[in-house]
Amino acid sequence: MSVSRDDVLRIAQLAELDVEEDALADIADQMSRILDYVAQLSAMPAPTNGTVKAFVPGPDAIRFRPDEVAPWPLAFGPETFAPAFKDGFFVVPKLGQFDDPAPAEL
Amino acid sequence: MSDAKAVADRLVKSKRLNALLTPPKELRSALTAQASAARPTGVLYGMPVAVKDNICTLEFTTSCGSRILEGYRSPYEATAVTKLKAAGALIAGKTNCDEFAMGSSTEFSAFGRVLHPIDKTRVPGGSSGGSAALVGSGAVPAALGSETGGSVRQPASFCGVVGIKPTYGRVSRYGLVAFGSSLDQIGVFGRSVHDAARVLSVISGRDPRDATCEDRDPLRLPTVPESLQGFVIGLPREYFPPELDPAVRRACDRAVRLLRDLGAAVREVSLPHTAYAVPTYYVIAPAEASSNLARYDGVRYGPRFDGHADLRGLYRATRGQGFGAEVRRRILVGTYVLSAGFYDAYYRRAQQMRALIAQDFRNVFDRGVDLLFTPTTPSPAFKAGEKLSDPIAMYMSDIFTVTANLAGVPAISLPVGQVKGLPIGGQLIGQAFLEDEMLEAAYALERVVPATDEA
Repeated sequence: MSVSRDDVLRIAQLAELDVEEDALADIADQMSRILDYVAQLSAMPAPTNGTVKAFVPGPDAIRFRPDEVAPWPLAFGPETFAPAFKDGFFVVPKLGQFDDPAPAEL
Repeated sequence: MSDAKAVADRLVKSKRLNALLTPPKELRSALTAQASAARPTGVLYGMPVAVKDNICTLEFTTSCGSRILEGYRSPYEATAVTKLKAAGALIAGKTNCDEFAMGSSTEFSAFGRVLHPIDKTRVPGGSSGGSAALVGSGAVPAALGSETGGSVRQPASFCGVVGIKPTYGRVSRYGLVAFGSSLDQIGVFGRSVHDAARVLSVISGRDPRDATCEDRDPLRLPTVPESLQGFVIGLPREYFPPELDPAVRRACDRAVRLLRDLGAAVREVSLPHTAYAVPTYYVIAPAEASSNLARYDGVRYGPRFDGHADLRGLYRATRGQGFGAEVRRRILVGTYVLSAGFYDAYYRRAQQMRALIAQDFRNVFDRGVDLLFTPTTPSPAFKAGEKLSDPIAMYMSDIFTVTANLAGVPAISLPVGQVKGLPIGGQLIGQAFLEDEMLEAAYALERVVPATDEA
């Protein structure tokens, strides 16, 4: 299996996602199956003539809009859809500890 | 207005499908208000169009089939919705879908699975299963869906309706909740090619609010051609593998004979990198999803799963409890393939493969082929629950549709037959921004194909 229980915990930390303890084994198993499946991409022969240019559809160049003040585009403000909003600010709990120990190398 | 009442009645009658998320009372009052405001000169005047729940509307909530956006009311509406309203269409509620459009069966909605309109033990396909089921049941003539890997064409095929994925950049995505930004497009369902095509024509065209939308006029609808003389249609051999469902093969073979009878020149072609399309997709789409879904944190919108001492705890609890199993899985896979040490092995490889897949299409089209014809799905609608525990099996139901998303080209699925009463879809894939040619062939085929006959 390519993904261990500890790997899931480290990735979940990077993704800011709580994962229940009793779901860990299942998630590790399913992630392993998915990653083993997509690993067949590495069987692709390496490009012979240098690199393959990445392909992204859509316009070739970014179009610039005129730099004009547009009307406020929202029908109502964040006070109606934010979970907690007061005096023009989103209300959140204190920041707390943000410097987790760096995740160990996977 | 009685029209609005009749529309609402039909939708409420289809309640057992669990295809519509809008409560009946809200639906009735919104339809009545829209009907009295609609411009009678609009080209879609009075046409009810249901809208997938990941497309923002002012009239209704936009939850993306997720607890993390339950009850969310968007302060702006999608350009596609604005254009529909300006053309006189009635926005006929929001349709159930796989959470954040991640799924192929509409079993991954936080609001319960959608039933297939013909056989309730089966799935309607996904992720736009609610839209497909409503059109399939006759509740509405057309609906909007969204496509990242086949989420309009695959359910259209399962439900016996027409589904179009336009060229990437044909329709504005302003107000479409982002999943995989290099792949996402708004798509259209219709009872017929014409119903779907005229809705597509209305929502297409430039939009200053979406930089990925091309600066082009709206799509002009072609006329129904007398014959397909002069068309060269390619049959990619990789889309007709030995393990293809025999009924799907028979229905597609019959459609190919009809295309020949219509005067088209049909020839076998090859898209050699097709086998890598699903693995490529399942690296790129989760990678983009993990980034796009970072915005759901319980701070700015949607519900908050509280009780935590600090901000980080709030993020993790909200995201952990707000997202369902498939979305969490894809966020984790996406974070993994983008993480240090794995980026080259997965994401860079997938980007390179995507370029080769897109090149396959260009090679075929450069050699004089106008369109490709393929089955839309490897089998008809499967049983509910059948693929839930096996993500790879679920992903494989997109095998014939993901390539068009990876290459950015347009494609349409239309009914070409049935097996034991279950619809079978055939797919035409066109060249970028040549939807008109693709629609011409679809119009012609639709007129002659016995879509309700057993294959």
